[in-house]
Amino acid sequence: MHIPDSFIPMGQAIIYWVIALPFIFLSLKWARKELDDMKVPILAALAAGIFAIQALNIPIGMGTSGHMVGAALVAIIFGSPMAGVLVLTLVLLVQGFVFGDGGITTMGANIVNMGVISGFVGYYTFAALKNKAGIKAAAFVGAWLGLFVSAIACAIEMYVAGTFPLEAGLVAMGLYHLIIGFVGEGLITAIVITAIEKARPDLLDSSVTSATGVEA
Amino acid sequence: MSVNVSKGTNMKFLYAGIAIALLISVLAPFLASPDPDGLESAAGNIMDEATLSEMETSAPFVESPMPDYAIEGQGKTGEILAIVAGTLLVLGISFGLGKLAKK
Repeated sequence: MHIPDSFIPMGQAIIYWVIALPFIFLSLKWARKELDDMKVPILAALAAGIFAIQALNIPIGMGTSGHMVGAALVAIIFGSPMAGVLVLTLVLLVQGFVFGDGGITTMGANIVNMGVISGFVGYYTFAALKNKAGIKAAAFVGAWLGLFVSAIACAIEMYVAGTFPLEAGLVAMGLYHLIIGFVGEGLITAIVITAIEKARPDLLDSSVTSATGVEA
Repeated sequence: MSVNVSKGTNMKFLYAGIAIALLISVLAPFLASPDPDGLESAAGNIMDEATLSEMETSAPFVESPMPDYAIEGQGKTGEILAIVAGTLLVLGISFGLGKLAKK
């Protein structure tokens, strides 16, 4: 879902940067407030793992592939969508500048879609469902929905940019990312959260494991 | 977050994370699907060919040193090196930023 430079005109690309910047700022503020010697290694390991897994495209049929985004996973582990914004911003910076994956002018849009939208939708869906559905199912649905909604947002941005027609763009982006999100986002997120909960429940933010701490 | 777990234990989590990330980095060039991703595939299906090929061939805003996770002329080895380098770079930046940000 990495939008290249040519897909969004410069004037619009700047607007997405203007939307992204306050979230980047808040994610840095989150890091100052929340990170300590215990959490920094977890953040670094997750960021490295997410960069690597984004290079591993999974075939979904129809001549199409897709990969995990990971913002929901990071947000759930740290108990804040800002953690997802921070990690995805770092990953997208390296992908854009070093590997030409996603544009530089469009990085703001990519941060909004993959960092902000998929992280916020993923995290708050998880938080709303976890007491009723359990951690595993809530992580699956949250991550899946987060990716799907970010793909819909991307399709709308492509329409506003004049790059995609509205309806065909929504159908294609929605369909592909429903499938990508099921395997690439939902399943992997649920598996990792379950594994961490079993092996090291102390690593998960207390809002994940305790029944009372659903607050943002 | 429990306060009873030693810092050493989280460093173990970091090493395990690095090991998994590097394993994926080395395998990705062989396992990753070469098919276009969701956005590229959508573009290929619904945009007219001329506009798309014009957009795809237009120069990026900034030239990147290792476009498409590859090193020119180095084949699969170059792809492995590129992804491993990216993984280590993200690791270093996030660890460094984390250390700077924390009190």
